Amino acid sequence: MNAVSQARPPDPARPWRLEVAGLSKTFGPTRALSDVHLQVAHGELHGLVGQNGCGKSTLVKILTGGYSPDPGASVTVDGLRLDLPIRPLQQRAAGVSVVHQNLGLVDDLTVWENVRLGHYRAGRLSRRINRRAEQQAAERVLARLGRPLEAGQKVGSLPAQDRAVVAIARAVQDHPPGSGLIIFDESTRALGRSARARFFQTVRSLVEEGTSVLLISHQLEEIVEVTDRVTVLRDGAVIEAGLSTREVNEASLTRMMLGRHLVTHSRRESHVQDQPVASVRDLVVAAVTGLDLEVRRGEVLGMTGLIGSGFVEVAEALTGARTARAGTLSVQGRDLALDRRRGSTKEFVRAGVAFVPERRLEAGVAGELTVSDNLTLPRVSRRGGRLRIGAAWQAEETAAMIAKLDIRPPDPYAPIHTLSGGNQQKVLLAKWLADAPHLLVLHEPTQAVDVGARHDIIEAIRAAARDGCAVVIASIDPTDLAVLCDRVLVFRDGQVTRELSGDPETDAIVRAVFDDDTRSQRRGQVD
Amino acid sequence: MDVTRQKDLETPPPSPQAAHDPEPVSAAARAGHVASRYAVIGVWAAMIAVYAVAEPGLFLTEGTFQTVFGSQQSLVFLTMALLCTICVGEFVDLSVPATFGFSATILPVLVVDHGWGVWPATAVAVLGAIAVGVVNGLLVVVVGVNTIVATLGMSTFLGGISLWMSHLNTVSGLPTGFGRFALHPVAGLPVSFFYGVALVAGFAYVLAFTPLGRHIRFVGANREVSRLSGIHVNRIRLGSFVASGAMCGVGAIIAVAALGGYNPTTSDTLLLPTFASVFLGTAILQPGRFNPIGTFVGIYFLETGILGLQLLGLEAWVSSVFYGGVLIAAVTIATVLRRRST
Repeated sequence: MNAVSQARPPDPARPWRLEVAGLSKTFGPTRALSDVHLQVAHGELHGLVGQNGCGKSTLVKILTGGYSPDPGASVTVDGLRLDLPIRPLQQRAAGVSVVHQNLGLVDDLTVWENVRLGHYRAGRLSRRINRRAEQQAAERVLARLGRPLEAGQKVGSLPAQDRAVVAIARAVQDHPPGSGLIIFDESTRALGRSARARFFQTVRSLVEEGTSVLLISHQLEEIVEVTDRVTVLRDGAVIEAGLSTREVNEASLTRMMLGRHLVTHSRRESHVQDQPVASVRDLVVAAVTGLDLEVRRGEVLGMTGLIGSGFVEVAEALTGARTARAGTLSVQGRDLALDRRRGSTKEFVRAGVAFVPERRLEAGVAGELTVSDNLTLPRVSRRGGRLRIGAAWQAEETAAMIAKLDIRPPDPYAPIHTLSGGNQQKVLLAKWLADAPHLLVLHEPTQAVDVGARHDIIEAIRAAARDGCAVVIASIDPTDLAVLCDRVLVFRDGQVTRELSGDPETDAIVRAVFDDDTRSQRRGQVD
Repeated sequence: MDVTRQKDLETPPPSPQAAHDPEPVSAAARAGHVASRYAVIGVWAAMIAVYAVAEPGLFLTEGTFQTVFGSQQSLVFLTMALLCTICVGEFVDLSVPATFGFSATILPVLVVDHGWGVWPATAVAVLGAIAVGVVNGLLVVVVGVNTIVATLGMSTFLGGISLWMSHLNTVSGLPTGFGRFALHPVAGLPVSFFYGVALVAGFAYVLAFTPLGRHIRFVGANREVSRLSGIHVNRIRLGSFVASGAMCGVGAIIAVAALGGYNPTTSDTLLLPTFASVFLGTAILQPGRFNPIGTFVGIYFLETGILGLQLLGLEAWVSSVFYGGVLIAAVTIATVLRRRST
């Protein structure tokens, strides 16, 4: 990693188009970014990847002026150092523009209004927008992109690939051809496959002119296919800076994004017993049609796949968090209809089904309330009297779980938001483990937690399985699945396409997820 | 907790903050915490001292005490009604004073204009207020109408209905025996003061110690977390609107009993004191959090301030200035406290 800070621009006469150095960002006790370096060359398509919670969105917010970084950072564009925090006008003058998530278009407005948004020139006296001049300016940019759209039509009526062109046109209009930098922040999320191809064709032609592009994306597939170099963020730090994409594939990128734990855990013996605990019949939800599933006592079942393949929805449906279109779950002989709308997951909780959702602070714990309040919540009506919850069992249970999962600080009355992400996750897990559930469903249980917390969480999940709990883990993290699972189901377009059992290994899981004959042939060996 | 042992176990390198000994920091923070809990109560004591010096023989009298503590029962019921929905995360029910006025108009109109007995009329008045709560709840919780808009409409609507029922007049002439139920002296104060105390104590108890109260706090803090923990979120939200209506109704009966009648044009003047007290309450005892006991203290803090100013010879406009000013100050303080804690 030392090589990172000493890297020189490919052409010594010209500085980097964008150079970020020594960038850190601290929020209260947590360090979201530490000493991040990033260099984008002229005429380069540079990818930026990382898992959720790795600091990627914080970095983008700093680059677009939403956050101010910790002192000591520098952001340089074409040798010109920008003021920090970044001021959008100065940034624009330096030639940097941003295309936000889902393209940032207003459907009710016309093409030219969208392209020129933020650039309108008003008449000196009338303060009116000169419609014709604006329209012509928009048309000029669109023509330059090789896509002469009718500037007067509403953006909402355009097909997806043309919407993307409008967004790009807005971003490039200030740059003379061959200059400037465009940051695409998860812009392609809403685009279909063919629209995406068209989008990258346009981007590629800009890059060939000499414009630079920083592409931030979750889709590793497109990163590998279209970018020249890639920078990988993990836990707020740069793990790989400007790695040539010729040297990577999706599997190796995945490992870099998650790799912190490759060596820290090994498989252990299985606790699978013979009795089934839970079974799902005819589940229809999202892309999934007619899934049957059985989980046995002590079994840890993994579910994984690409985004949109349906495994997440299955996990949510079988805990009552999401209403399915059809299906039944039976837990220890108790049947629950999965297609019934319910006011809450109470019936599932009573039946011994526990759910640890992915979005911790939105769906898992209430940040302003205390560790003890959050931890005991599912049991306050059952264990408490109608008129009194009772302090003793709460204190006892909280203390026991704090000790069991090593929650820091060990203060039952600390508001949850004062804890680190890993400790919040431990409280969330403890909230359900204290119930000794029959079926424990976890969605990305170790996302955005530090190494120590991950260790404790994995141990706690194993202990639950040892005690006879059936565990289902929905995750895109193959290392988690490999160290925890007895069996892994791989989803693709709503179908279980592979079932890995015995002792699924990380590489086997990654291969099964990305298994696509055409692509593996094109890219050569997939390790 | 053994600090050194904790450090040894720490797998990731400790952050700069964690490297400091946490003890003195938390002690200072604790002192600041205590100060912020009781700051308003301190100001209250200081205010009493200033008035006592400025108005010797006039302020520190039994009469002042009785005025402050004997006159705010309506406000106690109104603020608790508003708190009901605020606690479950509804922001904010503007129809509380109008519901109160609606109920307070029904009772004397039925008795005086239509010759009903007092108790049946009381029952109808309370049920009317509960019905308003049900309608508010259905609109906001089931249909999903914005709380402020729905309750603003309801408030104006009920205000009009009340004026129509009363023919724009004060309706009075309730049997004198009825008043005793609110005015009977207990320990130098009207018994209705103790109704208010009981309501506040009950509310605070429910919130702090019962499963229902815990569920209410979670629904207020995060609905999705509550739903996924098995709490019937919408049932609790609907229930809070109904309880709010019921509190308005009961408060109205007590106010009418004390006054012997009601003038529906006075309902509007209750809005600002209600809001000022509830928001001031967030700066008392549990900083940054809406709480019944803090609100209760807030009510008497505000009344003390206004009465003192009035005794100094300032006119009726003083109450508007004071309530409005305190509302702004209280909301500002609560916002700052909340931001500091997150």
